[in-house]
Amino acid sequence: MSGDKAQREFVSEVEDILERMRDDIARLAEGVGAGAAADPRIVNGLFRSAHSLKGLSGMFGFDAMSELAHHLEDVLDGLRMGRSTLDHDGLSLFDEAVTLISSLVGKLDDDRARSDAEESIATLMERVDAWVAGPTESDGSRESEVDLPAAVLRALTEYEEHRLHENVAAGRNVFLADSDFEILSFEEGLSELNEAIQALGEPISTLPSPGESPDSQIRFSILLATTLDRDSLAEQLDLPAEQLHLVFEGEAQPAALTDAAATEATASEVEPRNEQTPADPGPGSEPSESSLKSISDTVRVDIRKLDELMNLVGELVIQRASIRKIAETLATEPATARVGAELEKVHRSLERKLADLQASVLDVRMVPLRQVFDKISRVARRLRVDLGKEVRLDIRGADTELDKLIVEDLVDPLMHVVRNAFDHAIEDPGERESCGKPVEGRVRIEAFQRGNDVVIQVSDDGRGIDADKVLERALERGLVTEGQELSPREILDLVFHPGISTREAVSTTSGRGVGMDVVRSNIAALGGIVTIESEPGRYTTISMTLPITLAIMQALIVGVGSQRFAIPLNSVRETLLVDPQEIQSSDGRELLNLRGEPLLLRRLSREFDIEPSDAGKLSAVVLGIGDSRMGLLVERLEGQQDAVIKPIQGPVSRVRGVAGATELGEQGAVLVLDVSALVEDALRGREAA
Amino acid sequence: MQRILVVEDSATMRSLIVSTLEDLDDLVKVDEAESGFEALRLLPRDDYDLIVTDINMPDINGLELVSFVRRDPKHAGARLLIVSTEGSDRDREKGLELGADAYLVKPFDPGELARIATELLASGSESPGSSD
Amino acid sequence: MSGPAGTHDGTAEGATRWDALARAAARREAVEAGEVQHEYLAFRLGDVPYAIAVDGVREIVRMRPVTPVPRVPPEVSGVISLRGEIVQVVDLRRRLGMPEVEPSRSTRIIVLHGDVGEVSGVQVDGVTEVLRVVESDLRPPPSGESEFVSSICEREGRFVSVMNMQKVLDLGGS
Repeated sequence: MSGDKAQREFVSEVEDILERMRDDIARLAEGVGAGAAADPRIVNGLFRSAHSLKGLSGMFGFDAMSELAHHLEDVLDGLRMGRSTLDHDGLSLFDEAVTLISSLVGKLDDDRARSDAEESIATLMERVDAWVAGPTESDGSRESEVDLPAAVLRALTEYEEHRLHENVAAGRNVFLADSDFEILSFEEGLSELNEAIQALGEPISTLPSPGESPDSQIRFSILLATTLDRDSLAEQLDLPAEQLHLVFEGEAQPAALTDAAATEATASEVEPRNEQTPADPGPGSEPSESSLKSISDTVRVDIRKLDELMNLVGELVIQRASIRKIAETLATEPATARVGAELEKVHRSLERKLADLQASVLDVRMVPLRQVFDKISRVARRLRVDLGKEVRLDIRGADTELDKLIVEDLVDPLMHVVRNAFDHAIEDPGERESCGKPVEGRVRIEAFQRGNDVVIQVSDDGRGIDADKVLERALERGLVTEGQELSPREILDLVFHPGISTREAVSTTSGRGVGMDVVRSNIAALGGIVTIESEPGRYTTISMTLPITLAIMQALIVGVGSQRFAIPLNSVRETLLVDPQEIQSSDGRELLNLRGEPLLLRRLSREFDIEPSDAGKLSAVVLGIGDSRMGLLVERLEGQQDAVIKPIQGPVSRVRGVAGATELGEQGAVLVLDVSALVEDALRGREAA
Repeated sequence: MQRILVVEDSATMRSLIVSTLEDLDDLVKVDEAESGFEALRLLPRDDYDLIVTDINMPDINGLELVSFVRRDPKHAGARLLIVSTEGSDRDREKGLELGADAYLVKPFDPGELARIATELLASGSESPGSSD
Repeated sequence: MSGPAGTHDGTAEGATRWDALARAAARREAVEAGEVQHEYLAFRLGDVPYAIAVDGVREIVRMRPVTPVPRVPPEVSGVISLRGEIVQVVDLRRRLGMPEVEPSRSTRIIVLHGDVGEVSGVQVDGVTEVLRVVESDLRPPPSGESEFVSSICEREGRFVSVMNMQKVLDLGGS
């Protein structure tokens, strides 16, 4: 019968709790016998047991048992909060209570035994209450003089708060120790750390937070009290000193280890916890004041939180657009014209505030390029030694700021380009001398903002790119055909082709091109472009143009058939109304005469295989990537919108020509075009896949 | 489908809560954790719609768990219900301040738990239950 | 009432608590009886019942406007926006070669966890329940069954096809 099973489950849990209580009482008795103060951890354990017992028996209708547990809980609460002190009388009362409950649990189905026991419970409760009426101390002030981060302070239970105050009153130092663990195995590491802390003082609370990489890591902030100072604590715990934040400075002299716990600590073997200690500077690298300041003045923010904030701002922007529509409608009706005008005024001020809000949120995401550049300088230093070349690296514009997410993804391609310059572009000292160049080669990295873009240029004064050799390779590989006319720019562009940019093909002859296709696609994934300029024997400059942020952009909304698309406005040069008759065909390509220059056209409907409507006039959106231009024919221009661009998730991992999607209010998801892919395909004459 | 995580160190209490919640609807899935640590290990794996937690637990307390969940953007959509034996008023206030959505005192009536859980699940994200 | 007489005060709530606990115990007994329990989300296409492992399911959402995406296999009907996340939707009818129907009030998109943290949506005609199934209820699919069916589950005399969602979502790369 499952009913019996339920009861057995209940009884066995109660018995487990009682067993734990007996153990705790026995351990407390040893202490009381020896005249020492009761160990707060054991008292707290006993309290928790009584608390669980109260809840459990109350839940299943054993009111008398629950009542007794409640009285015990009150008494134990007084003890753990320091309102009373433990003596032999108290202990024997606890013992009797446990025995009584234990006998009651054994006779759950026996009504007579139950009512007998309930009577005994009543008398025992009176005695428990009488014992409590003993000496009482004031709990002292609850005001906090401890400089704790709000997140930690707010998650302390009343008991933990009490322990904190006890330790503060005793003049101990209170620290917050941060440590990151792998989620899969944090328990082991954390319990080792806790044991180590226990040997040095008292762990008060353990607050978990999402770690550096929240999917695999978890951070624990342990609030602890000790007589040790920061440096010795760091050494004993084998934690970098900057992970220890002093939140209260006690009066205890760190040198004199008078406290029992501390003495024990130096004597006992504190296990070194090498496995998860981050490899970092030794302890004591920083005075504690500055770390205290760092807790209070700055916060570390998960980038995902900023994304979420950005999403909210994006949603507000969409809502704002609806408000404007309402205002316009109201303003056109004579009866509501005044309200409409008012609403429009409010709307304008809302619009300004939203723009400020958006700018502030964006600003938080911005980080200077310095950190990337510093990393590159370090690698460059090593390269110089490894390659045996003399190269001077100049860095300019390290304060230029970019979205943190872009900066992270920029490291690899940028490193690649710099490495190429050192490795292949700059000649050996002997070779340089014989060409009459200074022995010391020069590589310059320069970053600057241009409109809504950031440009990063890597220039070297090395051997440059031999266009003839590149063309030769391209012909061999069948990438270009004999007699095909290519501008010098188009030839240099071939370096970005995967078939060309292999070490064997180009690097030894032209000094350029290893993995340049990868660099281009990495940069394109960030919505940027890479261009190359070079003069054989003199220089090569590689320019990467990136949007300042991916988080939000201005988009032009266009329509074809029943569908809509968003085009990032920073790659739209202009829009034109086109009469289909103006479109010229040559060689299967469509062209438009744009102020005397031929503009290559592509129809979005054909590109994406969309049923066109019978629109008479078409619009051409002139897209520009670097110096390349192309006209995209669409049926409708539907205005500009702020858009938060998101990656597309699902079984099909990449769709060429689509950079992502954005949510536009009630219209749901709208695809964002990948302009660099579209332009590239058009210029290469590649047909839609 | 709705996902629920029950964090409770008492096995009996946990059984009761889990079985009450499993009976809410044909479309709920209830995971259980017998400690705060176990909950921390389960949390990154799933997006829970509702997390039911006790306060008094041996490893980390329920307040710390609530605080963790509220500071992890992954669980921004999760509703939080504290189910705890009557105790410190201050702990209860703190739980709500930290962002718990409701507080239920033990002993409670399973019907009451079911009602609160249903309400919280309905107020959560847009996941519909088995309605229509 | 399955609660033992005299163990509570006879109040209705005491009884429901014991009941709930007893049900939990019964459930656990079934699992402990040596059977591994699986949980499946049951859904339907027309009247035909199917199921998928609950572990892979992130959430279930109502049908919403699906934005078509060019240059993808026809089984992908497009993308939806889920609180700002953009997720592809696979039309399961198309994937299984079944005739298409207009979405109805019961049409749902089951949002699944992907292998590397990406999610995908699968459009079905309706979701019905979470099945708790023991190992002995499962049998291998009969020969000639669709490649997407990993096992057959018997429930109250009906057979439910358990789908292998990994295969369903494998559209041969991009």
